[in-house]
Amino acid sequence: MTGLQIRFSGSGGQGLQLAAKILGHAAMLDGKSIAFSQAYEPTARGGLSRADLIVGGGEIDYPLVTALDYVVILDDVAVTASDGLLSSASTALVDVERVTKQPGGGPEVVALRLIGTAREAGNVRAANIVSLGALAARAGIAGHDCLVEAIRQSVRKEFVAFNLEALERGRALLEAPAEKPAPLGACR
Amino acid sequence: MAVPGLRHHREDARGRGLNDTGIQNIQGNHACAVAAVAAGCRFFAGYPITPSSEIAERISVELPKAGGTFVQMEDEIASMAAVIGASAGGIKAMTATSGPGFSLKQENLGYAAGAEIPCVIVDVMRGGPSTGMPTRPAQGDFMQSRWGTHGDHACIVLAPWSVKEIYEQTVRAFNLSETLRVPVIVLYDEVIGHLVETLDPGSVDTGEITTRKWAGGDPAQYRPYACGEDDIPPMARPGDGYRSHTTGLTHAENGFPSQDPTTVDRVARRVLGKLARHNDLVEQVDCYDLDGAQVLIATCGITARAAKSALRLLQDKGIAAGLFRPVTLWPFPEESYREAARGKQQILVPEMNAGQLIYEIQRLTPPGVPVAGFNRLDGEPITPRQIAERVEELLNHD
Amino acid sequence: MTDVPSAEFNIRDYLRTELFPHFMCPGCGHGIALRALLWALHELGISKDNLAVVSGIGCSGRVGAYIDANTFHTTHGRPLAFATGLKLARPDLKVVVLTGDGDCLAIGGNHLIHACRRNLNITCLLLNNEVYGMTGGQVSPTTTEARYTTTTPSGNHEPAFDACKLAEAAGAGFVGREMTLQTPALKNLVKEGMSHNGFAFIEVLSDCTEIYGRKNDLGESPEMILAQKAEFRSKDYGMERDEVFQPRSLATGVLSRNDHEEYTAAYRKHVLSKASS
Repeated sequence: MTGLQIRFSGSGGQGLQLAAKILGHAAMLDGKSIAFSQAYEPTARGGLSRADLIVGGGEIDYPLVTALDYVVILDDVAVTASDGLLSSASTALVDVERVTKQPGGGPEVVALRLIGTAREAGNVRAANIVSLGALAARAGIAGHDCLVEAIRQSVRKEFVAFNLEALERGRALLEAPAEKPAPLGACR
Repeated sequence: MAVPGLRHHREDARGRGLNDTGIQNIQGNHACAVAAVAAGCRFFAGYPITPSSEIAERISVELPKAGGTFVQMEDEIASMAAVIGASAGGIKAMTATSGPGFSLKQENLGYAAGAEIPCVIVDVMRGGPSTGMPTRPAQGDFMQSRWGTHGDHACIVLAPWSVKEIYEQTVRAFNLSETLRVPVIVLYDEVIGHLVETLDPGSVDTGEITTRKWAGGDPAQYRPYACGEDDIPPMARPGDGYRSHTTGLTHAENGFPSQDPTTVDRVARRVLGKLARHNDLVEQVDCYDLDGAQVLIATCGITARAAKSALRLLQDKGIAAGLFRPVTLWPFPEESYREAARGKQQILVPEMNAGQLIYEIQRLTPPGVPVAGFNRLDGEPITPRQIAERVEELLNHD
Repeated sequence: MTDVPSAEFNIRDYLRTELFPHFMCPGCGHGIALRALLWALHELGISKDNLAVVSGIGCSGRVGAYIDANTFHTTHGRPLAFATGLKLARPDLKVVVLTGDGDCLAIGGNHLIHACRRNLNITCLLLNNEVYGMTGGQVSPTTTEARYTTTTPSGNHEPAFDACKLAEAAGAGFVGREMTLQTPALKNLVKEGMSHNGFAFIEVLSDCTEIYGRKNDLGESPEMILAQKAEFRSKDYGMERDEVFQPRSLATGVLSRNDHEEYTAAYRKHVLSKASS
C-alpha cells in the first residue's frame, strides 16, 4: 500500500527529525506501520533539513515520498526542496515568520504562527512540536493519546510537560483558526 | 584503566530505547545488528564507515548484553581477519562495511571461502568508486559482492529490500553460513540501511537457528575436509582434541597443503559445487504479477520497491508488468529467472549503477527478447514513476 | 598423536612428523626457533589441544603446520588480526603467533602496533631473517643496510626497523629478543613471554642461509649463526651501539615489560560486567 506521505522541512537544528520520529512513533502506537527517511547530509545547523514519513495500514510498497499529502515548512531554505512532490491535493503548513516564498505545485497553503507560538510558550525550539500538534489536528494520523505517549517516550522526563503544552498550542492553532492567514511575505 | 566514553554510550543506548524488543520503529542498520545477535552472533569486529556504522554502534551495545565480544579493529582488513579468527574458534561472527571497506576485506573473504570458515559480511552500498558519495545510495557492489575476491570461490549474497527483510536475511545469512560453511554477504543500499520502518522482531519468521556441524568421533580418524553425502565437512572446534590444520593454500581432505592436481581438482569442485547441491536452502526469489505480464522488471533492494509501486502505475495505464526480485542475489537464481522471463516481450533492469545486474539478466534471457536498463548514477534513488515511464517508452518504441 | 607428552622434552611429541620431510632449507634458523618454542611449551606444560598457533605468509608462516596443535596458516600480514579474533572468541586457548619480518613489520605493521596497544594475552614470535625468503630474497624492513637482495641490486639503501623498540613504544606488555645461537636462552625467553599476562613480543634473530647468506657471501649456516655471536649482545652489556666493532649490535634478552591491564580482563571488567541483560 502507499500510505499517507508527510514531510517536515526547514533548517537544520529546528528539531524536524525529532518531530517526524515522534509522529512515527505515535502512529506505530496507534497500530499503523511507518517508513521514515531523512536526508543524510553532513549539515547540522542552518542548512536544509527534511524528514519524511509515510504512514500506512500495512506493508508500505515504496518507502520514500513521491507525492506529499502534507508538508510542514519552517524556513525559506526548505521551500523549493519539495518541488515536484506537491500538487493541489497537498497541504503545506508554513511558518508565517520564516517562510516568505510560495511552495510550487499549487498546494493549499496554511500559514501559521508556528515559531511565534513556540516563543510564546517559552522556547522557540519547541516549534517542531507546535508543528506536530498543528499537523496532527489537521491530518489525524495518530490518536491524541498516542501522540502524548510518543512524546513521553521520546523526550527527556524534565521536558515532557513543556512539550505536551507545545503540542496543545499547536493543535489549538488549527482547531480554532481565528484569523485569516496573512498573505505570504507580508509579515516580514 | 578507564574505558573512555563508555558511560555516555550506555546512556545513549537507554535514550534510544534499545531495550525494547517488541514492535518498534527501527532503522535498517539497527535491525541488522539486532538480528545478528538473535541468530547467535557473539563476535563482531568492524571499522567505521558510512553508511554502515550504525550496525557497529548498535551491536557494540547488544553483544555485551549477550555475553559476546565487540571489537573495533585498526582497519577493515583486520576486522575481516578477526571475524575469521573468531569463527575458527567456533563462535558465530560478523563484520559490516561499505564499498571501499568491502574492497579491503576481499582478500580475507577469499580465505574464508577457501578454508570454508563461516562468516557474515554486511555491505551497505553507497555511491562509488572510491570515497564517492558516502551518504548517498547506490547499487554499485552487485558484482563486487560476487567477484570481488580472487580466484574461483563460493559465496552467497543476500539482498534485502526492507527493514523487516534485513532482519530476516541477516538471520538467514548466519544459518546459511553455518550450514554450508561459506561466507555470506548481506548486501543492501544506503536507503534501506538508514530507513526506519515498523518492525515486530517477534513476528518475523526466521525459522530454526542453525549452527555448524561439529566434528565428532575418534580424533585420530578425523580429516578436516572429508565429508559425507552433503559435501559439507564437519568442523573441528579448537580444544576438542582434533588439532587440525587450516590453511589458505589449496589443501587435501586432511587439511594439509596439496598441489596434487587430482586432489586440488576434487576439493575445488566440491567447494564450488556445494551451493548448487543445496540450492533448496540457498535460492530465494520474490515475484509479483508474473502471469500474463508483457513486461518483466528484474531488480533488487530499494529499486525493487520502486518497481513494485511501478507495477500499479502501469496497471492503471493498462500495461501488464511483473517483478522478479532475487532475494538471494548470488548464486543467481537462474532457473527461477528463466521461468519468470518465459513469454515476456520486454525485460527491464533498473539499477543504481551503470549496469551490472543487467549482464546476468542478458545472459539468461532467451534470444530475441529485448533487455533494457534504466540506470541512475546521481546518488538519488530510482522512483516508481521513472520505472513506469521507462516501461512505457520501451513499449512505445515497438 | 597423544596429547600426553613424555616427561623429558622430546620434540617429536609436538611435531606432525607425518609431514616430514619439512620444507625448510638446510641451515635455516626457523627450525631452531621452532624447537625453542616447543621446548618452552613442554616446560610450561601447555596442552597441545589447548594451543592455537596462528601464522601468516612466508617461510615463518609455513613453520606452524609442523606443530601438532590447532594450527592456522592465514593471509599475508594478518596473523595478529586473525589471532585477535580467535583469542577474543576463545580466551581459554593459549594463542601463539608465528610471523616474519615482512609479514609482521611490512604488510602487517599496522596490526602489530595495535596488537601491542591492545595487550591481548597472545605470544608473538617474529622470526627475523632480514629477507623475503619464500618469494626469492627481496629486501625486507629489517634487511641490514648495504646488503644485497634481489630487489636491492646496489645494496639496501633503506634503514631497518628495530622491531622491539616499535613494540615497546606501542605498549606491548612484554618485549624480548634472542638469537637462534642461544637456543636455551631463547627457550627461556619464550617461556617468560608466554607466562606474561598480556601481549608478548619476541623477536627471534634467525638466518636465511640459502638465499640471503649466499647473496651476501655470509658463509654457510654455521658461519651465519656464529656471526650472531659477534653482532648481537645481551642487554646486560648495555644498550649503546658499539659503532666501531659491532655496527649491527642489537640488545638481546628481556627488553621491556609493563603491567598494563590485559585486554580480555579489561573487556570483562569494563564492558561485560556493565552490560545490562
